[in-house]
Amino acid sequence: MTTEPSRLEVRSLTKSFYGVPAIDSVDFDLRGGEIHGLLGENGAGKSTLCSVLSGLYRPDTGTVSIDGSPVQFRSPHDAAQHGIGMVYQHFRLVDSFTVAQNIVLGLRRGTRPKSIRQAESMVGDLADEYGLHVDPTARIWQLSVGEQQRVEILKQLFRGAQILILDEPTAVLAPQETDRLFEAVSTMVGKGHSVVLVSHKMAETMQYTDRLTVLQRGRNAGTADTANSTPADVAKMMFGDSRAADRREVTTAADVGETVLSLSDVCVTGDSGLAAVTDASFEVRRGQVVGVAGVAGNGQRELQEAIAGLRPIASGSLEVAGTDCTKTGPKGSAKAGLAFVPEDRLGVGLAPGLPLEHNMALKNHDRSPHSRFGVLSSSAIAKTTKRLVEAFDVRGNRRGMRVSLMSGGNLQKAILARELTEGHDVLLAAAPTRGLDMAAAEAVRAHIVDERAAGRGVLVFSEDLDEIIHMSDVVLVMFKGQIVGSFTRESLDVDAVGLLMTGSDPTVVSPSGSSIEIDLTEAPDETLDVATISTAEEATA
Amino acid sequence: MTSAIQVTPRGYAGPGVRFGVPFLALVFALVVGAVILRIAGNDPAEAYRTMFDSSLNGWTSITRTLALATPLILTGLAAAVAFQMRVYNIGGEGQLYIGAIAGSWVGLLLPESMSAVVMLSAMIAVGAVAGAAWALLAAIPKAFFNADEIITTLMLNFVALSLMNYLIFGSLSFWRDPKRTVPGGKRLPDSAIMPSLSGRLHIGIIIAVVAAMLLWWLLRRTSWGFQVRTIGDSPRAARYSGMSVRLKTLTVLGMSGALAAIAGVSEVSGVTKGLEPRALATDIGFTGIIIAVVARNNPLGVVPVSVFLAAIATSGSRLQSIGIEVEVVYLLQGLIFLTVTAGEFFVSNRVGLRAERRAEADGGIPPSAELARGVS
Repeated sequence: MTTEPSRLEVRSLTKSFYGVPAIDSVDFDLRGGEIHGLLGENGAGKSTLCSVLSGLYRPDTGTVSIDGSPVQFRSPHDAAQHGIGMVYQHFRLVDSFTVAQNIVLGLRRGTRPKSIRQAESMVGDLADEYGLHVDPTARIWQLSVGEQQRVEILKQLFRGAQILILDEPTAVLAPQETDRLFEAVSTMVGKGHSVVLVSHKMAETMQYTDRLTVLQRGRNAGTADTANSTPADVAKMMFGDSRAADRREVTTAADVGETVLSLSDVCVTGDSGLAAVTDASFEVRRGQVVGVAGVAGNGQRELQEAIAGLRPIASGSLEVAGTDCTKTGPKGSAKAGLAFVPEDRLGVGLAPGLPLEHNMALKNHDRSPHSRFGVLSSSAIAKTTKRLVEAFDVRGNRRGMRVSLMSGGNLQKAILARELTEGHDVLLAAAPTRGLDMAAAEAVRAHIVDERAAGRGVLVFSEDLDEIIHMSDVVLVMFKGQIVGSFTRESLDVDAVGLLMTGSDPTVVSPSGSSIEIDLTEAPDETLDVATISTAEEATA
Repeated sequence: MTSAIQVTPRGYAGPGVRFGVPFLALVFALVVGAVILRIAGNDPAEAYRTMFDSSLNGWTSITRTLALATPLILTGLAAAVAFQMRVYNIGGEGQLYIGAIAGSWVGLLLPESMSAVVMLSAMIAVGAVAGAAWALLAAIPKAFFNADEIITTLMLNFVALSLMNYLIFGSLSFWRDPKRTVPGGKRLPDSAIMPSLSGRLHIGIIIAVVAAMLLWWLLRRTSWGFQVRTIGDSPRAARYSGMSVRLKTLTVLGMSGALAAIAGVSEVSGVTKGLEPRALATDIGFTGIIIAVVARNNPLGVVPVSVFLAAIATSGSRLQSIGIEVEVVYLLQGLIFLTVTAGEFFVSNRVGLRAERRAEADGGIPPSAELARGVS
């Protein structure tokens, strides 16, 4: 196996945006006829690497070679000419066209079939050859998601793709469809194609790939033969293992007081109508930071919205500082004492096209002193703005300027300023430091930690596991809409958290030497409610 | 990949920019227009003098322009208040007809001897309520089922037009004057006619300007307007901060319909003096949409834009009378309007030569970033 030559060879590839490297000196090899898993957290650089390989971005430095000869792609069309095809997670199909029409769409004269009949029969033959069964005359809107994905794959094969990049192909599939997909993938590999499988999911990566490469913060954290790796090793590569040491330095909580946020058996429906959150139960107490770790898209957003009253709670109940807020909407949650720093700063937390003054009064513009009998007081609003700007060191604002022109760090400080100066008992912060530079992120974290010192409760969601571990007194892990693990400061095991985040069960696959314990039952005085190991098993089963 | 011209949003434009740019745009249009007029064999100086004389020079010209601007201000406000919240009421035209129908109904129904103040107030009030109700036919499906208001309001225009035509041409309705051989509306009694200020100019202009100031105050100085502006900028931020988008959709569309309907009352009472479909259906409602866009939905901006547009329109007919081809007149009108509108781009953006070579360092989003978003 190891002597097999590389189909695709990437050497010290770097691509920066706004001066920040998204991938940094990445090396990557893809052999002929292999399935190569590409893993990493959100923002690890997977998408940037794929976009460079598929010709969408041009790298700053580094080389890409195919079968030993260096290539430079000017466009996705160029990459396709060299046999690289990308299947995106979000399909690029014309709903009202037929399968065959979609597949020949965009082909240039000469490579295009003579007639639509010919195209249909060619597509039909190709589908049979690879076991990607789909009716070439069906229209896209008539097809299931799995079938649409087959069309996308056929489209690439039709263009002669030898190297297929599948971007989280199973994210949208039902289990049976997943099996069928991997049958087709193994057929492709049998015919000499190479496949890059981009994934968050540990189980399928371990099951289906020959080798895997882990990206961490834009760098290649290692490439390994899948057969010789354990999920624990891979999780360690993904999330690093240096963090256990520095978290101890964080000041311990002040006295933990009464419960200020309590969820019991909360179920929430997602945009697609399917369950996004299932039976979430936990509590946040005064003087406590509860962190929720998880890979994005596992129900965190829906859970945040449900707590904030922006999304209906299908079943279960929610209490904010002793008030039942299950059905009271955004105003009810806020009134009961919830401060909410949402994931989307511009567009949810702030109205991007309006000035800072307007945004600072967003939630209390209709109350004294900002308005009386429905008439606004500009001077009172200006005064509040000035006070908040000074207290939270918000910079870069000019009078009348739309807030979207301010930097991310200042926007986040502005939201914190507004949310943390109203009377509140609990802070819900979602991805509070995402996209911020180091200094701004540190300032935001300091504000959050201050909340704990001031005797309020904090619930923080973040994809940055370091951050969660650094700040939290209690760590919850979310996977597929469920709380699959919860750890106190004492019982925290970083490796186990990493495994749970990717849907693996830490009690089954234990790395040699170190034993993993998840301490759930042992801390009766702690606040956690459910999250037993059995739910983790169910989730992975 | 790199272009030599760099465009950056201004964020905030000072008064020099806001007033200077439209002025320069106008000068530019007149220069280009002069070339076109010369090519077409006309004397540009004479043409421009005629345009100025017929629309803005002298009291008669000014009153004529202002009279034409009166309903445009009101339909412009109707569009502006809806667009401010990014609700696209394209139904101003139909709401205007409904206002004319309801207003003239009150004028014909109430006793002639009634005082003009009471009569006109009643006509405006009933007209406004009818226009609001007509707009709610689109607002309710929008608020509760998210039905596209662009389609529904547009379609309701045809319904309103057909209704008005039916009342005069298709039936012996209450509005139709049975004595006239050519179908037409009954003439409104004197007490139901808006008093003239000078020539064609009637008190409708005062109503329109007061409405503009009132609307500006509502949008800028009340918590209702605060919410409307928030929703217009970002509905999700509005929901996040606890505002009711549904309620605002209903009130804003209702208010929009009422304003367009007042334009209808003003026309039927101050200009046609009876329900005259042919004279009322002159695209005043649709023109209001253009006005709102140019005025950037600012109610105080709607007034000068309406007057400007009315001035171009009044001068057009006079230009034809001095022998300029009608096509050239339209071209000139369009050119002036287009450049002044396009000037907006220079108000909201700073345009200059690129200093740095790298596109991404300037804060421009790489064009492919959007495409790549599918990959996570």
